[in-house]
Amino acid sequence: MPEPDDKLLHHWLRRTSETQPTLPAILEDERVTTFSQLFDDAQCLSRALTKRGLSKGDRVALLLPKSTEAITSLFAVLMAGAIYVPIQPRWPAERIQSTIEDCAPRFVIKVSEGGLVIVDCADGEQMPWRDMLAAPHGVCPEPDVAPDDPAFILFTSGSTGKPKGVVISHRAVGAFVKWSAEEFQLRREDRIACPSPLSFDLSTFDVFNMALVGAACVLVPDQVVWMPRFLTQFVAEQRITVWYSVPSILAGMLNEGGFARGSYPDLRVILFAGEVFAGRNLAKMQAVIPHALYANLYGPTETNVITWYRVPSGFEPSKPIPIGKACPYAEVMMDSSSGALLARGESVMSGYWNRPEETEQAFVEVSGKRFYCTGDRVSLTDSGDYVYLDRLDRQVKRRGFRIELGEIEAALLRHAEVLEAAVIACQNQKEQTMIAAFVRRCPESTLSLVDMKTFCAQFLPSYSMPDRILFVEAMPKGNRGKIDYAALKKLYVEKLNDEYPGGCSPVHP
Amino acid sequence: MNIQAVVRQYILEKHLRGEYSQGFEDTTPLISSGIIDSIGVLDLVNFIEGRFKIEFMPREIAPHNLETVEQIHLAIQKKLDTKSGVSSNP
Repeated sequence: MPEPDDKLLHHWLRRTSETQPTLPAILEDERVTTFSQLFDDAQCLSRALTKRGLSKGDRVALLLPKSTEAITSLFAVLMAGAIYVPIQPRWPAERIQSTIEDCAPRFVIKVSEGGLVIVDCADGEQMPWRDMLAAPHGVCPEPDVAPDDPAFILFTSGSTGKPKGVVISHRAVGAFVKWSAEEFQLRREDRIACPSPLSFDLSTFDVFNMALVGAACVLVPDQVVWMPRFLTQFVAEQRITVWYSVPSILAGMLNEGGFARGSYPDLRVILFAGEVFAGRNLAKMQAVIPHALYANLYGPTETNVITWYRVPSGFEPSKPIPIGKACPYAEVMMDSSSGALLARGESVMSGYWNRPEETEQAFVEVSGKRFYCTGDRVSLTDSGDYVYLDRLDRQVKRRGFRIELGEIEAALLRHAEVLEAAVIACQNQKEQTMIAAFVRRCPESTLSLVDMKTFCAQFLPSYSMPDRILFVEAMPKGNRGKIDYAALKKLYVEKLNDEYPGGCSPVHP
Repeated sequence: MNIQAVVRQYILEKHLRGEYSQGFEDTTPLISSGIIDSIGVLDLVNFIEGRFKIEFMPREIAPHNLETVEQIHLAIQKKLDTKSGVSSNP
């Protein structure tokens, strides 16, 4: 492992490429990239970009699917002292455009018809990625990067419709990754699956532990991640030793992927985060792989992981799995008035990109210390573990994706024939979050479901689309004329119960 | 058996439930239009596999192969033909 106090992510890769150049760094389908190949390519690309004008603090948008090239690019950007911004190519065009405008990158790396290209935003020129990699560039002085300098910006849903960028420094992500490597005893022999998109903070565990400890990072193809049968096969065939994902993916493998029929002698660490994991699903998992270490990791994108809970074997499946106690680099406490979890420490974000007011509003001061308010309401057990209760606001998690109900409403309301829109969340009998939108159209409207969905797809990423859209003649209102969300939930639950007898229950306000 | 009808019915029940499904044709783009999200595609694949007793390989279920009812029908037919030993080439 690199020196304990080396906090720069690309230094970890350099050190690992020196100590174990020929070991596999990235496995993607049949393709193997060694540490020396990854480091050399990243360095070549970094120098080429620097020669063309990339400077410390500049942003580079990575409009790429998860791939060896994407990971090479992100290290190249870090080596230049710049900031990478992963953007999912499958986002609606408008969302991609507004995110790019927001982060104002110096370069955009994206897929085009002939392959990967690098767009120079200064003059619009497009250069093939391979050519940039191969171009002679000489030696460049390494930029002076400090641990508190930003490493990347992750854009997450905003409640009013515009995604907001969470700025994370080398030190912040480093604190989490180094702790995780030590706590879970990660080592070069490990094969760490990488199921999450690079725009999701869970991927920082996969990619940067690869660089830190020299483990192999095994990329899970998109069409395999959410296809339980394929994923189960993948985990076994690839001899995955360490897994970190949202619980929905694990539940899929268990309930639909025949996970229980297989054997996974190599899988020794199973971590999950991003949403509540139903106790009975975790119990099923433990029955299949009793020897593995299981842990619930908790923390929003703004703080990365700040608390964690190691699940004992034989835990009580009917009780909620705690989010546990603070990680060593974090300090947490419960806000006395709202019951929300407050957090501070090395892993907390530097702020929201370009949004100083929102950044200010996200923090509170308690006893002279500045805490980030997670917005998650918690309780504390006698053993000192925190337990997640619900949200203070209108953010929900569905399949681990963070969704702002207000963002969906904003998208619906953009349609000229929509007069009112209200979005609610509830849980079905499989304890999955369902999102339903209620829409009141103007009187002569002939807007159909197909029209409404197609319209929303222009603004919302696929994972934010409502499960159901119901057209109503009138929106239930409360005393003060505001939309009565509780009444809508009741309406939806009744409707679902009619269609699927067995029940649904509303999810928090 | 009318493959398109089975697929259409599934999509109507799962994703376009309600009385306002006009505009849904066999050529309507399903994924890029947001009618079915990326997880919905995989649920659809699971349904098709169960219903028609076929098994897709990971590469065969890329979203652009399953964008319309028409395309889905062709993908299913190809699988059924392979299964029964019928060559897809004339």
